[in-house]
Amino acid sequence: MALNLKGVMQSPVTPLKADFSPDLETFEKLLDFHVRTGATAISWPHHKGESLNLTIAERKAFAEVAVKVVAKRIPVSIHVSALAVEDSMELARHAQQIGADAIIAITPYFWHPTVESLYDYFVRLGTSIDLPLIAYNSPDYLAGLEFTGDLTRRLIERLPNFIAMKEASFNSERFLEISRVALALRPEFSMIAGVEFLAPSVPLGGKGSYSSAGAICPNLCTALYEACAAGESVRARELQFKLARLWDLFRDQYPSSLKGGMVVMGRPVGPTRPPLPTATKERQAYIETHLGELGIIDSEPHGW
Amino acid sequence: MPTFTPGLVHTPVTPFMRDLQIDFGLYEKVLEFHLRNGAEALALPMHAGESVSLSEDEQRKLLEFAIAHVKGRVPVIAHVSDAGTGIAADRARHAQDAGAAAVVATTPYYWTPPPAMLIEHFAQIAAAVNIPFFLYYTPVELPGTKITTDTVLKLIDRLDNFAGLVDVSLDWQFMINIVSNAWRVRPEFQLLSGSEYMVSAGAVGATSMFTSLAAIAPKAVSELYRRCRTEKYAEARKLQEELAALRQIVKRAGPPGLKGALRAMGRECGEPRPPLPALGAANYKQLNTEFKAMAALRAEPRGW
Repeated sequence: MALNLKGVMQSPVTPLKADFSPDLETFEKLLDFHVRTGATAISWPHHKGESLNLTIAERKAFAEVAVKVVAKRIPVSIHVSALAVEDSMELARHAQQIGADAIIAITPYFWHPTVESLYDYFVRLGTSIDLPLIAYNSPDYLAGLEFTGDLTRRLIERLPNFIAMKEASFNSERFLEISRVALALRPEFSMIAGVEFLAPSVPLGGKGSYSSAGAICPNLCTALYEACAAGESVRARELQFKLARLWDLFRDQYPSSLKGGMVVMGRPVGPTRPPLPTATKERQAYIETHLGELGIIDSEPHGW
Repeated sequence: MPTFTPGLVHTPVTPFMRDLQIDFGLYEKVLEFHLRNGAEALALPMHAGESVSLSEDEQRKLLEFAIAHVKGRVPVIAHVSDAGTGIAADRARHAQDAGAAAVVATTPYYWTPPPAMLIEHFAQIAAAVNIPFFLYYTPVELPGTKITTDTVLKLIDRLDNFAGLVDVSLDWQFMINIVSNAWRVRPEFQLLSGSEYMVSAGAVGATSMFTSLAAIAPKAVSELYRRCRTEKYAEARKLQEELAALRQIVKRAGPPGLKGALRAMGRECGEPRPPLPALGAANYKQLNTEFKAMAALRAEPRGW
């Protein structure tokens, strides 16, 4: 289970053609772009990749492309969360079959399972495969459903392949409830911030983050991680403030605005599937103004 | 208005006698304990000091007593929160007359005013004095009213003495947004960590810290604060985890937990006032057992 997750890992958006059908060719270009511009791992499809707007068959087809194109240059994990648990189980099996390096899963959607049900779900998922398992904690989006320290402890004790947590509360107390238990029991455990909140999380033992803005500003992401890892707090703070402004810009109708920003950066990836809106020309112009003000357009790669 | 960085701010409890009247004799001991154990400022009576359970007359007497006793050894910050704007503003005026170094206030109790009236509330409190005013944001305790960056910027624009925000949201994006925007228009604006979760807060710009747990573990609190103020965040991680564990033990015991914890440390301060319950024998026993098992508490002072 030696999989060392650290740095800024990219969770690509899902390119779609104008008719909303999958655009696998652009997906190949996007994956390659991330690998070339410093991604330390790929994880797909997070919510940013419109996971819940894709059919299970589509998710499998994209996942196969991801594993094939990345070709072991960096690890690839597959996000298997689906509305139905049976679909998640199927996606996990598929991820293993196609040679992915890990799976990632959030607490189940819609229902409000008890802590025992959460424990049973992750044990069933984690024991169904031989791959490392990354859990995903996002209490704000799931009506408070979250990993407690105690649940984390029980799962670590039960699952040797439970190696990491995507932590998306962005809250000191909640992060520490998980991290202090996980890192004491399994020192190599990777606490990964859900997006690039690296300045507040790396000193707490965080190993890195997934990325909101990596398809827009990979250089900024890498620079922030390096400043945090080196303990350069003044520089880290300055870069973190900049990324926080980008997060505010993109989290509105995420990932629609992100896809809009990619047009500005010369890397168009098509529309966003309903019920999410697609960024209008006006929204794109607004994003362009902000990217210009932040110096992103001049300091980051344009085109593929 | 010159910059006022309060530093490590202890927030003492209010001790009561058996008849639940304020025990001023014991309060002297409480204040001396904090002054001997690292307090660079005191803020009182905060919620940890049961401010909301004290009458107007008692709050004023307590403040006057503390200022007379402290005799300028450290600044005393007066907590003046109330539901009514006029009541809070009068209390602020009294605090200034009594010699307080600054005033601090939360969003109003009970009411959920619209943004313009929320600004009016703080503006009237701050305008009642010419000492620094700090806004105390505690959205878990007071969930009905949100503070936004816009509110903070409007208050900065209107009030020369709006010196900073004490954050208990623990929310990374909130802290970053407030401080990064405030610094653009008022570089001396202070972000203060409202609890002992100082590592992440400091990493994004907090310069001071309010602490109630200093009554329990003043050495750990002082050391955590010192490391954060010298921006050695990674070196503060272990202390941060220990203080997070301590906070969870006290939190599990409920509102009377802090006074129970003081009893366990040999610093009896009586029971809380109704409507808070006394800490039952079973809960006290559990807390005391957990305290005895905590290695981090062994170096901390017992008794007064």
